[in-house]
Amino acid sequence: MNNKKKRRLFGRLQRTPKEKWKKEEFTELEYEPTPVKELLTEMKDISELIIDLAYSAVLFDNFEMAEEVKFLDVRMDKLNYDIRIMAMMAARTKEDAEQLAGILQVAEAAESISNAAGDIVNLLSKEEKTGPILPKILKEAEEQLFRIKVSSKSKACNKKIDELKVESETGMRLIAIRRGDGWIYNPQSDTDIKADDWLIARGSNEGFKDLSKFLHGELEVLD
Amino acid sequence: MKEKTVEDIVLEIKDKSELMVDLSYSSLIYDNKVIAKEVYDLEDIVDNLYKTLQRRAVENVKNKKLSVNDALTVLRLAEAGEQIADAAQEIADVELRDVELHPILKMSVRESDVVFTRVKVEPNSVLCGKTLGDIKLGSETGMYVRAMRHGERWLYGPDKKTCIDKGDIIFARGPEDGEKHLIDLATGKTSEI
Repeated sequence: MNNKKKRRLFGRLQRTPKEKWKKEEFTELEYEPTPVKELLTEMKDISELIIDLAYSAVLFDNFEMAEEVKFLDVRMDKLNYDIRIMAMMAARTKEDAEQLAGILQVAEAAESISNAAGDIVNLLSKEEKTGPILPKILKEAEEQLFRIKVSSKSKACNKKIDELKVESETGMRLIAIRRGDGWIYNPQSDTDIKADDWLIARGSNEGFKDLSKFLHGELEVLD
Repeated sequence: MKEKTVEDIVLEIKDKSELMVDLSYSSLIYDNKVIAKEVYDLEDIVDNLYKTLQRRAVENVKNKKLSVNDALTVLRLAEAGEQIADAAQEIADVELRDVELHPILKMSVRESDVVFTRVKVEPNSVLCGKTLGDIKLGSETGMYVRAMRHGERWLYGPDKKTCIDKGDIIFARGPEDGEKHLIDLATGKTSEI
């Protein structure tokens, strides 16, 4: 069941309503037994996605992505709360407790990472609008973030990410897809790519060149 | 040597902190204390970079090279990177403790969207004697090399000029389907990159 829940969170088309995170923050916490392993896997996944998402939001000056970061940040707080409860119930002996303390420490760290991501997107706040210094800095990074539009001529249209092997062929990791006025965050292997999608991806310059040629329909296959 | 600019330092903090997150998670997967210790060392470096940056940013504002708003933005971005570095250190700390890791910990980290791989480069592998820039491992297989072990020496966050030798152990991160390709390359099963 929880796997379904994870699917609901990632890899589906959605619109993060403005200030959805606030609603999430003030909903009551309900006790829902979830295995520690699932909680921790989700926390780790979020902790990796959220950094890229936060930097992308800042780089592309995108408030919608920033809203999603805030939402994931709040979600992370909840997961952290759940995992504490579950861990405490699982402890029977001193040895259990010692091992579980390690799990909680990793969970706590994942949560700090999401807080840091939240701080990054707060740089977008309107009051202290800064010049283009952030994009200027981020464009120099080792692995960069890119935006590519999918042309209807591309062979990628209506294919699953899995089939295209985007990441293993180009080294470009897809962080998000913008489709119409919705978003797909952390696209999964069975997510389709459609014409006119905007892909947000992370990788090297070379990978970006290959992938954009393919997505613009100038290359027939990814190789 | 040219003095590092404020922008250079922020970027270094960003890249290092992301490397640390990768290394700390992989130290858990492989139950590897050497990698975990490296995260500790990197955290020291990031701390120092952050201090240098603070000084540099303030100086630049004073010399009117940087606006107050830009300086604040840069410092806040770096602060977030520093927090991420701290979090990575917390993760590495779990590995360094004298308590056996909970099996769930390894399973969860292993089972996520991104995988870490450790592979030894065999003498008959095409990777031998090539630099990372030559073979473009990242853009061809999706696997990014995050650390390497060369004899007794370790190399963290290698760059394009780093050369792979036989017997090296590569730690890389990437998608599941890239993992097999990398292993085949390193073990000499395939020479097609």
